[in-house]
Order: sequence, then structure tokens, then C-alpha cells
Amino acid sequence: MQFELKNVSKVYETGQENITYGAKNINLTIREGDFMALVGPSGSGKTTLLNLIAGLLAPSTGEVFHKGEDITHLTLEERTKHRLDYMGFVFQDYQLLPVLTAYENVEFPLQLKNIDKEEIKERVLWALDQVGLASFKDRFPKQLSGGQQQRVSIARAIACRPSLILADEPTANLDSKTSQEIIDLFKKLNSEFNLTFIFSTHDQRLIDQVKTVLYIKDGQIADQKEH
Amino acid sequence: MSRFNFLFKFSYRNIWREPKRALIMIFSLAIGTGYILWVLNFSEAGSKEVMNDFLSQYAGSYQITNKDYYPEGNTKRFNTFATIRTGDIPGQELASSIPRVVSPVFISGNKKTLGVLLNGTVPQLEDKFSKLTTAVKTGRFVAPDSSNEIVLGMSLANKIDIKIGEQVAVIGQARDGSVANDLFTVVGFLDFGGGDLEDSLSFTNLESAQTLFSLDEDEYHQRVNFDMERNPPTLEKLQVTTWHQLLPEISVSIRFIDGFTKIVCIVVVGVISLGLSNTLMISFLERQKEFSALNIIGANRTWIISSLFIEVFLTGTLALLIGLLIGHLCTWLNFYYPINLELFTSGKPMYLGGMLIHPYVKIYPVSKYYWQVAILIYLFLIISMIYPSYKIMNRGKDAI
Repeated sequence: MQFELKNVSKVYETGQENITYGAKNINLTIREGDFMALVGPSGSGKTTLLNLIAGLLAPSTGEVFHKGEDITHLTLEERTKHRLDYMGFVFQDYQLLPVLTAYENVEFPLQLKNIDKEEIKERVLWALDQVGLASFKDRFPKQLSGGQQQRVSIARAIACRPSLILADEPTANLDSKTSQEIIDLFKKLNSEFNLTFIFSTHDQRLIDQVKTVLYIKDGQIADQKEH
Repeated sequence: MSRFNFLFKFSYRNIWREPKRALIMIFSLAIGTGYILWVLNFSEAGSKEVMNDFLSQYAGSYQITNKDYYPEGNTKRFNTFATIRTGDIPGQELASSIPRVVSPVFISGNKKTLGVLLNGTVPQLEDKFSKLTTAVKTGRFVAPDSSNEIVLGMSLANKIDIKIGEQVAVIGQARDGSVANDLFTVVGFLDFGGGDLEDSLSFTNLESAQTLFSLDEDEYHQRVNFDMERNPPTLEKLQVTTWHQLLPEISVSIRFIDGFTKIVCIVVVGVISLGLSNTLMISFLERQKEFSALNIIGANRTWIISSLFIEVFLTGTLALLIGLLIGHLCTWLNFYYPINLELFTSGKPMYLGGMLIHPYVKIYPVSKYYWQVAILIYLFLIISMIYPSYKIMNRGKDAI
């Protein structure tokens, strides 16, 4: 068991005496090798749940555990370090740094971890090789297609060898052919390296190919399906 | 080191992600910096040039007198009984200084008798250290070994109706309390460009003045120093009076202009910094999403702020270097092509302390302003970073 959420709620205060639940009494266990999609309409709380797992949001109530350790009350800086050590992120709009090349974008989190120079080079080239972009390493994001940018984003996420990869609508900005290629890549990384993936998505192709689907409604897990 | 190099590379490239905006920001800051440097150089060098030009004509940088020469410190009155002797003055103060007998007298010409200040001086030393002798435009200055020759201000000569070669009667009070009076032959007229000093000054050689006032041959009233770079000494038994004390109204005006210029410069730096701060703020607000993404990937707030500081520091340094170069080049341009002060007076001549001053001012670099401007710019850059840093640091318990 990697991550566990116990009775986690996130409350947003939207005005005097008005509160909205972004997440409500969530109980969730994430195991190594999980390949899971959070599904639901816009505003249902998928992204909030993803952010709570990532430690980007602090729960209003409840606890979050990682490998049995309570990480609920870590400070903002401690949560940032925790994310850097254990998680990778893939964004809908890629969020590559425009001033850095593909190589440097993948290198970025490794530099933050203060890893040895030679090991950085080895890991970056490995990650770019996994996503099939080793020959594009010196290109800047604007010189890459949307699909290629998303691959760089995935390479950046896996380069740190995280326990968990969180992907927020990773195929939303891609055409169907590219989307399938990206999904295939996720599947390959999951099966070859037993990497854990959690997606927030509307993409039926992705929903059909994950192992577990969690249906989110009004900030709660309304249903769960295994494929 | 590798981590810092990466941070540095990231920050440097971020400056140029919007090249036009970066160039506008750098050049606006550079032009402002150059302007400030030039104005400060102009103010300092200009004031110094004008004052040197003025003081070297007659007043000197400072003078050494008997402690009682100016009663109760009033430099408009003279106690002519309070004299000094060469032996009283430290050796190093004798260099670049001129002994003068200075006493109020009446001078009587063909038409009138007027009260003026008679200066007994050493013509060779005036030639060497001051520009006094160059002010004689008609006739000549008194000869070193002459007896009872006198040079009068042009205006004074006209008022008492006297011509070169004619004699004037000089009446004053001698050192022994008797009436000092004698006839002097007029040999030249001083032309200070029509200023007030032409009404009130007259010159003879030192020996003639000492004889008139019954002074010994090493006895006089003032030792006037013309070394403008030399700091006035502190002497236990003698009075040292600087030009600031002798001409307080001019000194105050110069200080006021210098102070005002510095205030204007600080305001200009402040305005530039506000503009810069605004540009930085817009740039940072536009990048809020990017900062969130950086944080999600694993960059902590210190890293993000460090990268912004490096960006601002590099931008500021680049602008500062260009600005100092612009200011320096403009300063040197006005060194080789001095500024005509008549540009500021609608072509009218400028007078200072009753003398016409040289209308062209050479500007030269004043080294202290280079680092002072640099510190000021960096200070304002740091101030302009406070709010963006606060916004990044003060994110509450949620990272996004």
C-alpha cells in the first residue's frame, strides 16, 4: 500500500456561511502498480482529489498516509519535498518550461533533488528514450508538437523514478491518434516498471483502458469499477 | 554548483522570453541611470569648475589670519591691527598661498572719494597661483619692485574719474593708530565683467601697502591659499577661514543646488523603480500559473524567489552597466565639448560674488557617483522585489 486517504474532506469557503465541499469523506487506498482513473463531470471534485493526494491542497479534515506515515500535517515546503521525492506530474497543458530544452525540462526535477551530474544525464536520457524522444532532446517546447510536448512532460514525471504519477486530463489537448499513443505509453510504463498512475479524465479511451475507475460525484466516490 | 548553474541558466533565459519587453525595461533603466550619473557629474564637476573659476580670481580656497582679524567671526569687518607674520605660519601652508595686506581705505580721485578695500599683494605669486592679474584688461598689474603703484576696479575708476598714469590719494589707518595716507599712481584697471567687485577692490604691491600701514616687512593680514584640492588645516594659534565662511551666501546656494539635484536624482530613481516594479509585477502575475507548475514539480518557494531575484539582478546589472556607460560617455562628451552656461541664462552673462564667471563648464567623471548610483539602483531593485516575493511566500497552506 502506497497512499491511503482516510475520511478526507476539503471545504472551500465561498462566502459568509457558504461552504462547498471539494471532497467529502474520501476513503481511498492506492497500491503499487495501480492504473486508476478518476471520472466525473466538471466540478465533481476529480482535480481536488488529485490535488489532495499530491499534497497540493491540505485536507480540511481527515488524514493522508504514505507508506503508513501520516503526511497530513506536513508544512507546505515539506509537502513540496515529498512530491519531489515520491510523485511525478503530467498536466493537461504539459506545463513545460518554455526557456528550457526537452532535455533540460526533464533535468529540472533532478536538479532540484541535487543528484550527481552523471546520474542526471543517465536518467534524463533513459526517460527521453522511454517516451521515444531521445533525438529531440535539444528542441525547445515550441519546436515540438502537442503530443511530443506531452511525452516530454511524461519523461519529466518518470525521470525522478516516483512511486506515483498523477495526470490531470493528460489527453484532453491531443488528437485521437496522439491520445492513443500517449495512453499506450502510460500502459507500457505501468506494465514494464510497475509505475502507479492516477488519472483525472473525461477521455473514454483512457477510461476504457485503466484497471480501476472511480466515479466522483459531489466530491465523493460514488462508484468504483475494476476492468 | 551544478544546481546553481541550472538556476542561473533558467533565470537568464527567462529574461529573454519576452525580448521586446526585456529590452524596453533594460534600456529605460539604463537611460535613467545614465541621466542620473550625468546630472550628478554635472552638478559636482560644474559646481567645482564654477567655484574654482570664481575663487581662483581673487578669494582663494581658504585664508589664514590672526584670530582677531575678523571681530567676532564677522568676515565683513576687519581688525587691521590684528596681523600675522610669516614665521607664525606652518611651512606646508606657505606653498600655493599668497600673503596679502587687506585693509579698508578711502581713495580720492579727480571727482570723488570712495571707500574701498586696498589689497597689498605679491604680483609674482598672484601670477603663479591666481587669475587676478588676467583681470587687468586696461594698463597692467602693479610691478613687483615698484613703489606706490595701484590698480583699480574699472567701475571705481570711472566713478572717481581717474585715468591710467594719474595719481590717487589713499587714506586709511596705520598699524600704529596714525592716519595712513599717500599718493599712488594708477597703472591699470581691473575688469571683472562689470561685477560689483569692480567698485570695491584696489591692488598695490605688498611692500607699498606695508609702508602705507606701517607694517614690518614680514607682517601682513592674510595668507590666501589657492590649492583647491587641499583641505583647510586646523591651526591652534591662527584663524583658518574657508571660502564657505567668507562667502556664505554663495556656499549656501551651491549646497542648495547640489542638494536639490540629488533629491531630483533620487526621485528619478524612485520613479524608474516604480515603473520597473510595475513591469516586474505584471510579468510575475502573468507567470503565476508557471510558478504553481514549478511548485507542483518540486521547486520550493525559496527556489522560485531565488530565480526571480537572479532575473531581476541580471536585468538590473545589465541595465546598470549600459546606463553607467551612457552616463560616462555623455560626461566625457561634455568634457571635450564643455556646456555653455549661457544656455541656462538666455545668453546673459553669469555673475558670482560680483565677478563674471566662465560660461563654459567641463564635466568630468566623479568616481563616487558610479558606485553610489549602482547601490541606489540595486536598493530600488530589491525594494521592487518585495511585493512579488511576499505574494509567492504568502500562499497559505495550499500550494495552488
